[in-house]
Amino acid sequence: MRKVSSKHIQWLEKELPILESEEIVTRDVARHIRSYYAEQTASGLHWAIIAFAVLGSLLIGSGIILLFAHNWDELGQSTRALLSFAPLIIGAFLSVMALMKNGGAAFRESAGIFHSIAIGSSIALIGQTYHLPSNTPGFLLTWALLVLPLTFLLSSTGVFLLYLTLICGWSGAAQSEYGQAIGFWLLMLPALGKTAAMIRVRRDAPDTLVSLTGLLLTAALSTGIVFERTVPGLWIMAYSALFSGAALWGLHSYGDKDGWKNPAKTFGIIGIGVLTYLFTWSDLWRDIGWHHIRSGWHHKTWGIWLDGGITFGLLLGWILAAVKSFRKDSIETITLALFPIIGTICFMLGSNIGNDANVISAVIFNGFMFFFGLMYIVLGCRNVRLRQLNGGMAVLSLLLVTRLFDQDFGFMARGIVFIVLGICFLLANLFMARRRKSKGETL
Amino acid sequence: MKKFFLIALLIVIAIQLAVPFQMIRSQETVLRKGKLFRFTTRPIDPADPFQGRYVRLSFAADSIPCDALEIDVLERKEPIYAILSRDPDGYAFFTHWTKERPEEGDYLKTRYLYPDTEWIDDGKTLVTNGITIDLPFERFYMEESKAPQAEELARDATRISNCWANVRIYRGKAVIEDVFAEGISLKELAAKKDE
Repeated sequence: MRKVSSKHIQWLEKELPILESEEIVTRDVARHIRSYYAEQTASGLHWAIIAFAVLGSLLIGSGIILLFAHNWDELGQSTRALLSFAPLIIGAFLSVMALMKNGGAAFRESAGIFHSIAIGSSIALIGQTYHLPSNTPGFLLTWALLVLPLTFLLSSTGVFLLYLTLICGWSGAAQSEYGQAIGFWLLMLPALGKTAAMIRVRRDAPDTLVSLTGLLLTAALSTGIVFERTVPGLWIMAYSALFSGAALWGLHSYGDKDGWKNPAKTFGIIGIGVLTYLFTWSDLWRDIGWHHIRSGWHHKTWGIWLDGGITFGLLLGWILAAVKSFRKDSIETITLALFPIIGTICFMLGSNIGNDANVISAVIFNGFMFFFGLMYIVLGCRNVRLRQLNGGMAVLSLLLVTRLFDQDFGFMARGIVFIVLGICFLLANLFMARRRKSKGETL
Repeated sequence: MKKFFLIALLIVIAIQLAVPFQMIRSQETVLRKGKLFRFTTRPIDPADPFQGRYVRLSFAADSIPCDALEIDVLERKEPIYAILSRDPDGYAFFTHWTKERPEEGDYLKTRYLYPDTEWIDDGKTLVTNGITIDLPFERFYMEESKAPQAEELARDATRISNCWANVRIYRGKAVIEDVFAEGISLKELAAKKDE
């Protein structure tokens, strides 16, 4: 991969719209140039330098918080109140410098992170000075809202990830303090917009992939937190749609790329794997559906609409992703798209038939997990992809090993199955390694 | 484009500075204009990772008397206004509550937590005496080395004599000014023990 300095890339990104407007290059050519520089070149600045800069600013920011947390009695209340502005002013100055001097990624990231931490520390220090009561959701919300503009102005991935962490933390704190955190979806909108813009401009750039991963993780974590849980089991539909939708969208947008280069697909497939495994247990399907609606102070009366709305939104996203990515000849796409349908059918069965259906649902998902693992083993062999093969074998092994313990088989039978599975793993990897070697590829 | 970003960043920084400034202004207004109330306390001492060591206070007067029927209209953590008064010894207590902001008198903006109940007739009957509220001044921050000592002193003082918090209240907002044990400020007491 060629090394091109980030300053040159920045220059190019400024020039391309001008060249486009003066019709020297077409929009398509400009897009190809952008994607070439994002995919085929690396910044002259090593990632380690950025990582150290980020770590340094994180440590200094945290150190300042701790220094102030000592609470210097010798200084008066007014002095301490004024001092609490100091980190924020330093952070703001660094951000202005990073923007004015067109600082590289390391400077922008470290200035942005320091500035963001300084905002939180200033608010916390004023709280300390005036003995303000604990209001974690209020604190996190104010912090997140003040950090939000920096994610756009400084184009800092670190600040963006900090914002996602803050809103994720807020959703938990607000759910516990107020009994609901519906505002989380509003806070997610700017993050969604920013990630969409990054994908449109620089789809394969590392910062886009990191931001997308952060967004997906936040969505997965906070969907569970924000759910009111008034209708037990509705989360099955919501999470199935989220993971399946992400995987299908990843397939549509990033094609056959996998692993780190296709975070949506990887996230979706891992999510589906984990959910499928959970769904193989019959206890999970007990007492679900409309007949078991919950009430009490922490279950709002409108919770059913909130949960229903979130589930509907996620299902809508899944339908869109499924329609866009659907290919009759791709067993992977069909399987991923089928997952929420099977989940919904099982949820309906549990809702209408009651606890008699829980064994049926568990059996269906044992079958699905078996097929899911087998499919990736076959795909891995066909496409000569070790990751797919090993993933498929891991899924299949997990299912077999769990069911073996579940069904109380003898030690002898279990021992033989373990050995056979181990041999299969080794042989399959050896076979794949030889095939790849014969094709002249490196592992 | 760079100019636009720079102006936008400067506006954002101005807002970021305005938020803590407004926080300080609001607290200073309460301290300057607020009426002083004394609340009898029961302290314990924890720490906050962001804000440091503090003495956590719980208060004797953390409930408002009312009928069980009145509580039915309240949802847990719903904001309410608690009306303040002073007992003959000068300590604050709450007389009643309202959902609307009172036009006059001393009041505190707070939240309803749960019914204040007790078992009578040797544990056979549960009666509702009123509601328990969330008092928004349960933290008193101190220098990290002094907070545990202060907590110990305050605990002793609560056992043998009176321990109270001076709280300024203005238009429903409260700011804790100082905590006293045996009539002496906790900070002074902790400093004395240091010597």
